[in-house]
Amino acid sequence: MASLIEVKDLSKKYKIKSNWFQKKAVTVLHPISFKLEAKETLAVIGEIGSGKSTLAKLLVGAARPTTGEISLNGQHLQTGNFKQRCQHVRMIFQNAADTLNPSLTIRQQLEEPLLLNTRLDEEQRNNMIRATLQKVGLLADHLHFYPHMFSGGQKQRISLARAIILQPQLVIFDEALASLDLSLRAQMINLLLKLQEQMGLAYLLISHDIDVVEHFSDKIMVLREGKVVEYGNTRDVLANPKDRYTRRLVLSQRKTKRK
Amino acid sequence: MNLLDIKNLSIELTSHGENILAVDRVSLALKDGEIRGLVGESGSGKSILAQAIIGVLDDKWHVTADRFHWQGVDLLRLPLEERKQIITKDVAMIFQEPMSCLDPTNSIGEQIEEALDGSKFSGYFWQKAQQRKEAAAKLLHKVGIKQHDTCAKSYPHQLTNALCQRVMIAIALAKQPKLLIADEPTASMEATNQAQIFKLLESLNKLKNMSILLISHELEKISHWTDYLTVMYSGQFVEAGTTEQIFNTPFHPYTKALIASTPRASTNLIKKSLLHTLPGSIPSLQHLPIGCRLGPRCPNAQKKCVIAPQVESFQGHQVSCHFSHRKEY
Repeated sequence: MASLIEVKDLSKKYKIKSNWFQKKAVTVLHPISFKLEAKETLAVIGEIGSGKSTLAKLLVGAARPTTGEISLNGQHLQTGNFKQRCQHVRMIFQNAADTLNPSLTIRQQLEEPLLLNTRLDEEQRNNMIRATLQKVGLLADHLHFYPHMFSGGQKQRISLARAIILQPQLVIFDEALASLDLSLRAQMINLLLKLQEQMGLAYLLISHDIDVVEHFSDKIMVLREGKVVEYGNTRDVLANPKDRYTRRLVLSQRKTKRK
Repeated sequence: MNLLDIKNLSIELTSHGENILAVDRVSLALKDGEIRGLVGESGSGKSILAQAIIGVLDDKWHVTADRFHWQGVDLLRLPLEERKQIITKDVAMIFQEPMSCLDPTNSIGEQIEEALDGSKFSGYFWQKAQQRKEAAAKLLHKVGIKQHDTCAKSYPHQLTNALCQRVMIAIALAKQPKLLIADEPTASMEATNQAQIFKLLESLNKLKNMSILLISHELEKISHWTDYLTVMYSGQFVEAGTTEQIFNTPFHPYTKALIASTPRASTNLIKKSLLHTLPGSIPSLQHLPIGCRLGPRCPNAQKKCVIAPQVESFQGHQVSCHFSHRKEY
């Protein structure tokens, strides 16, 4: 059986003007290949400019890959075919609060992806929204609230609800956990783990926090200057980091000093 | 003698005819040359507390305290001018998001030179200008920027976040302060850069005997660098003690939950198992519970908790809870 997500030789080049007549191509992401199964989490770590956000953009379809292809359940995902991709790959951004439209109620926010991607009638849509809100631990009363009436952690839950309402198979977190408070982050991690178990989601987690990565992910990919420098099971990689960058990252966060 | 000695500091906000107690009887004592961490989640009043120390809160906020001593001088009794003089001489503060704190229209060099003390230079104006430049370069060297010329000429948007934070620290060092207040200095920074900034702060603490008040919401991350920790929740004092006391024997249920909620290599947690959390979310300022503000979320809460507990001290380990975990250790 094919894997849930299979990425083959995915790469991205940008063209920049170097002088009047010539264009220079800058490779942000060298060809990479990986597979991800359902209920698995892949963590991507790397410095700024290492291409981890580019990878997320390519997967979610916000940028066109230069080479390579992405297949989902053996089915090729075409670039530009958002109808197909939106249903299966969703993304959550760093500042959840900023991605919600302040002038729409929660019901309207959550209805939007349903209106655009499904043919459900109004009652089915309402049921769907209620069920999803319940899944992320919010109440049906919250339907008529506006985003400013929620706290930071609840906003993050709403953006999660918006991501999972279409029953996707892959959810991408671009630093989505970093800005949360400690106790709320733990709640969020618990929620994500529960949902992964229930819905069979695959996660792609972009993060700096080694501790969260170690707890949360099955596989890890370390990027540097657009190249994969390490890839493997999280435990193996973190226990025995080979690359200079990985070693520094692990050391910098672990037992630097505890007198 | 304590550098900074605050006892029962309360900060009240008046808005729409209502009084909201944003910070409720918090005590904080800082000795010479220590690094103290002030930990709390968003809305815990830690930034307000820092702003109250340097006195930049506007008229809407009312600061009252039983004791507010800076090196034995009661700051709250002093007239505003004298107080400002003491604070600008001895206390400096760096903020989160250094990019937005620096002036985007001036070069780094100009901004550092502006912060320098003019009375230290002598001679004609060209000599003074030269001395100013040298002093700025020296400050940049101190914070670990080797190419001072390129850095001084560039504008904030040309530098990375971590470099900007170093520049901010350089500006803070210009007056050779006794206390540096760092309000989330590494928020939205990369892990490796975070470690560099903390190392810089630590070396400043060791070499210059500068006290540092490190404010953060990440208990785990700053614990490597601090000697003492103070934990706050929702404007109330929770617990204070040495870093080991807080980590190894947390008395307060809130601190205990905070430590348990961070996955760590040392605790042999099964991978992908659920973490220990407190239910509910942080109350907003308009809807604060009475008594102990952790009450509705606390696993130990009982009827008595509607009365705010008094601070108790056990060998320097202070805790404010009716049902602390002290007897379990």
